[in-house]
Amino acid sequence: MTTMRRWGGPLIAVAVWEALAHLFAGAFVLAAPSAILLYLVDNAGLMTRALGVTLTNAAAGFVLGNAAAILLAGCAIALPRSEIMIRALALVVFCLPLVATGPVLRVLFGPGTGPQITLAALAVYYTTLIPLLVGLRAVPSDWLDLVRSYGRGRMTALLRVRAMAALPYLVAGLQIAAPAAFLGAMVGEFTGAERGMGVLTIRAMRDMNVEMTWALATLATVVAVAAYLVIGWVGQAILTEEPPVILAAPAATRRKPAMAFAILVLSTAAVLALWWGGLEALNLSSFFAKRPDDLLDALAFAPDAAQTRAALIQATEETLVYLFPGYLAGLAAGAGLAMALVLAPMLANTAMPLAIALRSVPIITTAPLVVLILGRGAVGTVTLIAIMVFFPTLIACLHGLRQAPGRATDVMRSYAASPVAILRHVRIPAMLPAFFAAARINVPASILAVTVVEWLATGNGLGALMALSASLSDYDMLWSAVVLTTLLAVAGYGLVGLVERRVLSTYAPEQLA
Amino acid sequence: MKASAPFTRRSLLATGAGALGAASLGLSPRMVHAQTNVNFQLSWLHSTQFAGSYIAQDRGFWTERGLSVSLQPGGPNAPVEPPVVSGTALMGISAADYTAAAVAEGAPFKIIGVAMQNNPFAIASLTANPVNQPSDLEGKRIGMALANTPVLQALCTINDVDIDAIEIVPTQYSPQPLVAGEVDCLLCWATDLPVAMTVQGVDNTTMLMADHGYAVHSQTYIVTEDSLANRREDIVALMAGEVAGWETYREDTAAATDLTLEMFPDAGLDRETQLLQAERQVPLMFSELTDNNGFGWWTDQTVAANIETLALLGREVSSDLWDRSILEEVHGV
Repeated sequence: MTTMRRWGGPLIAVAVWEALAHLFAGAFVLAAPSAILLYLVDNAGLMTRALGVTLTNAAAGFVLGNAAAILLAGCAIALPRSEIMIRALALVVFCLPLVATGPVLRVLFGPGTGPQITLAALAVYYTTLIPLLVGLRAVPSDWLDLVRSYGRGRMTALLRVRAMAALPYLVAGLQIAAPAAFLGAMVGEFTGAERGMGVLTIRAMRDMNVEMTWALATLATVVAVAAYLVIGWVGQAILTEEPPVILAAPAATRRKPAMAFAILVLSTAAVLALWWGGLEALNLSSFFAKRPDDLLDALAFAPDAAQTRAALIQATEETLVYLFPGYLAGLAAGAGLAMALVLAPMLANTAMPLAIALRSVPIITTAPLVVLILGRGAVGTVTLIAIMVFFPTLIACLHGLRQAPGRATDVMRSYAASPVAILRHVRIPAMLPAFFAAARINVPASILAVTVVEWLATGNGLGALMALSASLSDYDMLWSAVVLTTLLAVAGYGLVGLVERRVLSTYAPEQLA
Repeated sequence: MKASAPFTRRSLLATGAGALGAASLGLSPRMVHAQTNVNFQLSWLHSTQFAGSYIAQDRGFWTERGLSVSLQPGGPNAPVEPPVVSGTALMGISAADYTAAAVAEGAPFKIIGVAMQNNPFAIASLTANPVNQPSDLEGKRIGMALANTPVLQALCTINDVDIDAIEIVPTQYSPQPLVAGEVDCLLCWATDLPVAMTVQGVDNTTMLMADHGYAVHSQTYIVTEDSLANRREDIVALMAGEVAGWETYREDTAAATDLTLEMFPDAGLDRETQLLQAERQVPLMFSELTDNNGFGWWTDQTVAANIETLALLGREVSSDLWDRSILEEVHGV
């Protein structure tokens, strides 16, 4: 019976997959599990070599990106004044679209694996940084008082108290990072690489080799699931106890509007200085590496400035129409599944591998399938964005739900409260900080998703505009679109922050310190 | 690249062991001399699309001219123009329309050779519902990147076809939407997606746009004006090796295909697909024009036809975009 429970779900999923593949055989869009297995066996050498290359780059990017995130988070907590700046710069860098960064990285690094490793690192650092910042603050204030009463300073508090409290959040971040690093390394190969899983994926799609396409996707998924499980096991080994106390509340401080405005101006100035200074320092040609003044000219003074602005505005409108529903649907699905899994843990055997798979299968592999089933219209696009958003939300919410104080759930249980009541009164409030962390991470992630879908499948909006501009060497337009995308992300981020402040001031005020 | 294929002649020549053995094999001592390192930026992933260059490398057509050439693959997110502009690559492979667009944005490019005399753009359809001539497009759904709308517009203008009677469906660059029946035809290269369908056993029809007045040089060799002035010798050597490579390619496309698969065992290349592609690009690259004047050549007439089509694409260019002096030196005119 237990065996049935454990393996029944996955077995049914594989059977459905096999049946679907035979149903769609004429469409060249989905390969059956049996065909994939056969391909993997026949081409074991090729696949192993490609996997080795991409995995090495992904691992390097994973280590570098997460190390950077831990360092930045440490800085932000040790020097609280720097946090807002660190968050702002980290967000801006994370928002840079691949279409723009790929070619620049390739010119910077020349031949080799530089762009692959960098893109893998860029894909992970932000999703680790944000949960970590939340975790470092998820500390009962009386513990910090205790450190202070022993005459110790911030560093002691950071290393002895905050770092321990942040561990569960770090584990969540690393679990989200594992598939992202692999995808980043694959996409990095699109900038011109000799070998690797990304190179083979492009080849397979062009050759309409469905078995090869899905064999690559399966391999990528297996690796991502394995990495996810290993990090989870290590995490469980370290995090043996449930959080012992309800987090106590320090007084919430609110920033004055003037202060918020000053921070905004300061961050903008820092971004502009880094942008201009970075390109100058690297001596990159202004043909493809546009400076702020180039864009000002192209958007305000050039003869075709009005046309450029009109094209940008139209593309932005087209993008926003899909972005909002996709983002909200992804958040809802992620949080909803996390709650369902807490209520019915046996679902996890089927749902978790599927969820990780959805996130890990490269979107270029799944996009044609989703488009075939749901069409090229709104439903297909919204679904693809939701798929990208849903996984980080699910993982963060699952970890958040487990943060429910043990004593509180014990008290509820001793009063014979139903699992639903425990969920509602204890677990969901405990989950909220993690949910909002995910909501923030997902602002740039959903924008990246919508631009990728527009580029690959629907052919409109900012994604298509960026791809078109790059192929026509219209780098003024490309960089303008990049700036616009970044502004969108920052605005969305601010909006989530507003909502979060209102909700958390009721349920988890220690986060607002 | 060297580490991946340690047993080809090419890499043997490039290593110290090759150099030591060169004298005993009676090879020209020039090969052993110091070589100038040069990057050559290709426009796509390694495949028989660039097999002439692989032959040049394998046979030592470049090393005997004092060049050590590194062939840089392209990809979906690897535009050719930035590495050439920044000097990372001495020469790149582009096409007249992309080069014209880059020049309009201030890139100082010159076209110094034309690999594809006939543009490879084609309309691919299923044989059961074929597009044999431009007028067949009316009433059909065409799958393509929206970015290529000007290309379709130009074809329609040249052939008096009403573009509004064609339904444009934005699709990814793949034969799949055609095979699945989402569209009736595709705008693609004659040498890739139709080949994939044929190999997968899907009967298909291609209509080459070059046969219907669409005259745009493709797979063109571009360099900057600066390197044309200051690195002339290297560019002549690079083009000379390239020309020799493609002339050898033409003699035996099967051997060229085998070399490609041998040099890039990790590229996931299918021999049948690669061989068919290699055969199909021969008529695009070689013609009476090149028979008389040599690989890569063009005339004032073909340039004039290009300028006309480019104008339809919204690109105003003059014949100054082309510079034949390198080819003239290579072919000894």
